[in-house]
Amino acid sequence: MIPEASLDQCIKCNICTTACPVSAVTDLFPGPKYEAPQAGRFRGSTQPTPDQSVDYCSGCRICNMVCPTGVKIAEINARARATLVEQGKIPPVLRLRNNLIARAELLGKLAQPIAPLANFALNLKPARLAAEAVLGIHHQAPLPAFTNQRFTTWFRQHPAPTNPNRQVVYFHGCSTEYYEPRVGRAAVNVLEANGFEVIVPPQNCCGLPLLSNGEFNAARKYHMSNVQHLIKFAKLGIPIIGTSTSCTLTLKEEAPELLDMHDEETRLVSESTYDFNEFLMILFNEGSLNLNLRSIPLSLPYHVPCQYRAHRIGKPGIELLELIPDLHVIDSHAACCGIAGTYGYKKEKYNIAMQVGESLFKFINDINAPFVICDSETCRWQITHATGKPAIHPVELIALAYGFPGEGALENIAGNI
Amino acid sequence: MKQITSDVVVIGGGATGTGLVRDLAMRGLKTLLVERRDLSHGTTGKHHGLLHSGGRYVVKDPQAAQECYDENKILRLIMPHCIEDTGGFFVLTPWDDPGYVQPFLEGCRHAGIPVEELSISHMLKQEPKLNPHISRCFRVPDGTADPFLAAELNAESARHYNATILTYHEVLSLVRDHNHVTGILCQDLVKDEQVQVNASIVVNASGAWAGKIAASAGITIQMIPGKGTLAAVNHRIVNTVINRCKMPSDGDILVPTHTVSIMGTTDIKVNDPDYFSIEPWELRLLLEEGEKLIPDFRSFRLLRAWAGVRPLFQETSATSSDREISRAYVLLDHVQRDGIEGLLTITSGKWTTYRKMAEVTADKVCEKLGLRKQCRTHLEILPTRTKKESIKLHYHQLGARLAEIENQKSYGKLLCECELVTLPDIEHDILQNEVHTLGDIRRDLRLGMGPCQGGYCTLRAAGLLHALRQPPVEEINTAICDFLEERWKGQLPILWGHQLRQVRLNELIYKNVLNVDNLPGKTSSRFAIDKYATPPPEQVSPPSSKPSQQQITFISHPSSKSTDVLVIGAGLAGLVTAWRSLYHKKNTRLIAKGWGATHWSSGCIDVLNNQSLEAFVTAHPTHPYTLAGSSTIRNALTSFQDLCASASYPMLGSIEEGLLLPTALGSLRMTNYAPITMVAGDTRNQTPMLIVGFSQFLDFFPSLIAKNLQAQSMLATDLTLDLVSLQQHKYVSGMVLARLFDTPEFRAEVVTALRNRLGEIKRIGFPAVLGLNEPLTVIRDLENQLGVQVFEIPGLPPSIPGIRLHNLLTAEIQKLGGRIYNGMQVTGFENDAYRISAVYSEAAARHQPHAARTIILATGGLLGGGIQLDDHGYAQDTALGLPINCPTDRTSWHYDTFLSSEPHPLHNIGFAVNSSFQPIDQKGALLFDNLYVVGGALGGFDPIHEHSLEGVSLVTGYLVGEKLA
Repeated sequence: MIPEASLDQCIKCNICTTACPVSAVTDLFPGPKYEAPQAGRFRGSTQPTPDQSVDYCSGCRICNMVCPTGVKIAEINARARATLVEQGKIPPVLRLRNNLIARAELLGKLAQPIAPLANFALNLKPARLAAEAVLGIHHQAPLPAFTNQRFTTWFRQHPAPTNPNRQVVYFHGCSTEYYEPRVGRAAVNVLEANGFEVIVPPQNCCGLPLLSNGEFNAARKYHMSNVQHLIKFAKLGIPIIGTSTSCTLTLKEEAPELLDMHDEETRLVSESTYDFNEFLMILFNEGSLNLNLRSIPLSLPYHVPCQYRAHRIGKPGIELLELIPDLHVIDSHAACCGIAGTYGYKKEKYNIAMQVGESLFKFINDINAPFVICDSETCRWQITHATGKPAIHPVELIALAYGFPGEGALENIAGNI
Repeated sequence: MKQITSDVVVIGGGATGTGLVRDLAMRGLKTLLVERRDLSHGTTGKHHGLLHSGGRYVVKDPQAAQECYDENKILRLIMPHCIEDTGGFFVLTPWDDPGYVQPFLEGCRHAGIPVEELSISHMLKQEPKLNPHISRCFRVPDGTADPFLAAELNAESARHYNATILTYHEVLSLVRDHNHVTGILCQDLVKDEQVQVNASIVVNASGAWAGKIAASAGITIQMIPGKGTLAAVNHRIVNTVINRCKMPSDGDILVPTHTVSIMGTTDIKVNDPDYFSIEPWELRLLLEEGEKLIPDFRSFRLLRAWAGVRPLFQETSATSSDREISRAYVLLDHVQRDGIEGLLTITSGKWTTYRKMAEVTADKVCEKLGLRKQCRTHLEILPTRTKKESIKLHYHQLGARLAEIENQKSYGKLLCECELVTLPDIEHDILQNEVHTLGDIRRDLRLGMGPCQGGYCTLRAAGLLHALRQPPVEEINTAICDFLEERWKGQLPILWGHQLRQVRLNELIYKNVLNVDNLPGKTSSRFAIDKYATPPPEQVSPPSSKPSQQQITFISHPSSKSTDVLVIGAGLAGLVTAWRSLYHKKNTRLIAKGWGATHWSSGCIDVLNNQSLEAFVTAHPTHPYTLAGSSTIRNALTSFQDLCASASYPMLGSIEEGLLLPTALGSLRMTNYAPITMVAGDTRNQTPMLIVGFSQFLDFFPSLIAKNLQAQSMLATDLTLDLVSLQQHKYVSGMVLARLFDTPEFRAEVVTALRNRLGEIKRIGFPAVLGLNEPLTVIRDLENQLGVQVFEIPGLPPSIPGIRLHNLLTAEIQKLGGRIYNGMQVTGFENDAYRISAVYSEAAARHQPHAARTIILATGGLLGGGIQLDDHGYAQDTALGLPINCPTDRTSWHYDTFLSSEPHPLHNIGFAVNSSFQPIDQKGALLFDNLYVVGGALGGFDPIHEHSLEGVSLVTGYLVGEKLA
């Protein structure tokens, strides 16, 4: 069933509107019910699109989660935005901007080799103000720093385990490759500590930033290419796992559904893809998870990103972290940090994003822990930007508990445990 | 008696009548039109809105085809704004005779209708939902038209040329003086008085009613009203008119018009154009034929079904089928036919040919009056509704209304959210036009014609009508009931699936939260529309096996870290079960598709509507209350009260003596327990109250509430505040207000606006939006600053008081270590003999397993979405797919009045359980050893009708939660 057909299920109860974190802070966005099941009845494929406000949907999918009738609101909105793009209703400058911030892979390829210079420029206020004036990227938006060494460079050089007994494919995603290779190193260490041979095949950006900017044609190319890269492993029954919740969600569902890609290979890749925590909990439930975990006596706030909840698998991250002795994880129960992928980078949406995240930021500040746990990279950057607290992926704690040296925020912690 | 004189009087405010009055007025004749209700009330307002290319009739009725095509070209010029240029397809499905193609093409060529064959791939590109097995497809210049707007604009143009239009004037008889008809006698339904119109010529343009009108003067006209039943699909499943390429027959056309797609039509001879039924087989036929055009047709939501009567005329009787009668128009001059002067009858024909029919009739009138005046209706464009002459007219587009709302950012002014009708639109309509009923606004603006079928806009439009016209409040109350009943009438034939759930929500709103049954005044007026006749009962056996379930891809392993209790559903029943289970230290997990009915209901706890519990229990041996027993009921309520009190949100009241609170319409509503924010509204206390609303908040009309309270002898006045801070908002919903009330700044603004306007007032009633997080603080602060009591009045969903209960329970569950996951729709289970070992929920890429020792179904009933019914009458629970008993005779499902004093029989379906609330089969055997059912999913009672929705959920959830200890 195409997402739009689900609008028939709406009974106009407006539960989604009460839960929407975006319309709670700006009335430029009239709310999920208005945009999807309601406006959806006024959209016709052969006519110019009447839409404007749908571009303010952040795509956080909280509406989908609370809808008692199962309307695929966020997907309908994403596709309505794609029509805006297709019909040229997004001003060219903003479209250029969207294409720039949605191409983490391209940026990474260009800028990572000159990381020190690029990072210097990104931290330069005049440069950021110019980027805002010319491109519409908000000058305060939390742009991540490029790493000096790509994840895959490290991976190729690292000593592989001698006698693995099982195989797994690791989908690292752009953020691990170009910005936070420490997450990938932790993931590889954890998997290898569980007896896996980790395979890192060539891969592209998952295409989610493009999807959430309505650039469907470009996203389709990425996804088709990823399916080509991954299909042989899926056919062999080797699980594909990722530490970026948005990449895994895109492989599982977002790309096939939004792009109407329903061929057998796409489906097989989708069904072979797992979120990292989800996968470790499956190992745990099978009884094959390495439980040789050291104590980490800390109380830490954990924010489950919107994209994670959209997997509809509960909160395996919390269950996983609870296996670490003495670690106390405090669930934020917050709706959204606001960033929603690339949304909070845009000059017209930065303030909305910061307001959306306010209750989460307050929760984090109130706890006053040394750092925050969060699965999604852009959410981590937003949290750090707003609260000043470093943010880590759960796998980094698992790696630490296995005895691997902590990196980044965990570097100092490790010595104290 | 009032007497009016005119050159010509036209009977009937449909397409023909309004077209004729325009034509005559443009020729300079003094003309008057009478219509017994609103314009388009008859067949004009009930057809599918097809602007014929003529293609449909090229083989069968070439004359009608030719007329249609000629007029199609003219109407596109004079009323483009009433027309959507959809184009039309004639498609040859595997069920159609390929031999029809040749005569069809020849017929088109003969009539000059442009026709072009499309490749099937091209066809599917334009209309991807069409049946890929269609073998040929021809494009013709069909279109769709808005018959309501066209009639209104014809009338508007006629008025511009000095014609008089009298709606709500019902013709009682033609006035006949020997062999001369000299006028008409009619009843003004609004003023309830008789009016005589004298005219040189009377034109009977009353369509299917022409025979009835003529009979009043002793003239026989053999009309054969041909009932046609149509059904509207909730959205546009096609954007092109789709015709079957075959001889016209039943269910062969699908017309996209405005936001819906209309599937038509049946054709059944009826005796009386005012009295006929819609029969279940007609809907089955439309669904079956629909599936031939669009294989998924059954999966789409039907909004309503209705029937119009074609004005078919036959000079000699005896014809076997209606479809044999010509669809060309007929003009009868009764001098030649019956020797009667002064009367013409114009009838039959198609909507598409209305203008031509008016032209020939007006020619005849002029001939009779000896005038030489030429028709000009084909030369002059119809006016626009907005009267902005400068607008360049173009075809209507589906997205036009949305584009306007988006351009003006007027989404905060939507009164009818489904059809995007704004407050200014309705204000203009009420003030400019002769609006008497909400149905009049509907025909003008499409109010209430979307998915919720008046669920929200009925209250809002009634509030606005009252505010602008200030009629006696009883008239407004009647208008509300009339509109609800009129919307019910069209939904009755299609109440299954999503629309059934919608009417349950509408029932919750109007029969429970707003308690419309209790409003002062009558529950129907003389403007109320006639019901369809009740169709004869029929037994249809439901399919023997249940519909196939989707195949489950299952890769992960159920959690071995075992959950004791898995609760499915996050309404009151599920939350309470989880709370009690956690309280007893059970490892509990709650999963839900989304949030539940707490968000829709009043936020009070209705246990029973003013009845003694003991007497009720005795009288209802299988009711959940009886199974629970009165001591459990009391314990449940006391525990819940304790929980609410500890969360600084006390619920006050008792089972024996509840509170009598005002609703957002001003009716009174008995409830057993109300939050402390509402108790000062108890109307058994007679102190004067002020009802306060906000200009930007369209769910709450203080003057309507106050007037209704006054009509029930209460001291109530009203005030609507126009606060500066709200003027800055583009939309002001209950949630926006609740968040604002949480801030001291907004409260200060409200207090300042009220402080010097209280006089003798002892208490103030606000909409139920006084804070989301700390309502007690908000209300105490307002009371301290204002020096009077303050209370909340619950209204349309989403319900802030209900959300507070939801939040309070989820906070408690989380505090006790429970986990709540939403967005998880349960779609199946795995069992080990009589134990459910795991249930699956739908997730990205695969299904998520949940193992637990005990499973609690708290998924709700028809309202909550836990039980669903398909068009075959097969009912099942939506989570586990278990069958639910349901009456097989569809005609016995509902009463023909929405506000029936008895509960609708279908609405009590649900699980049968034993005294432990474990579901049992028809023989009384347990379905599963570890499955329990609580709340709305239970069968045998109608919680909305008996006002026990929250009570049953709370009591059964509590009982089962305790039992697990």
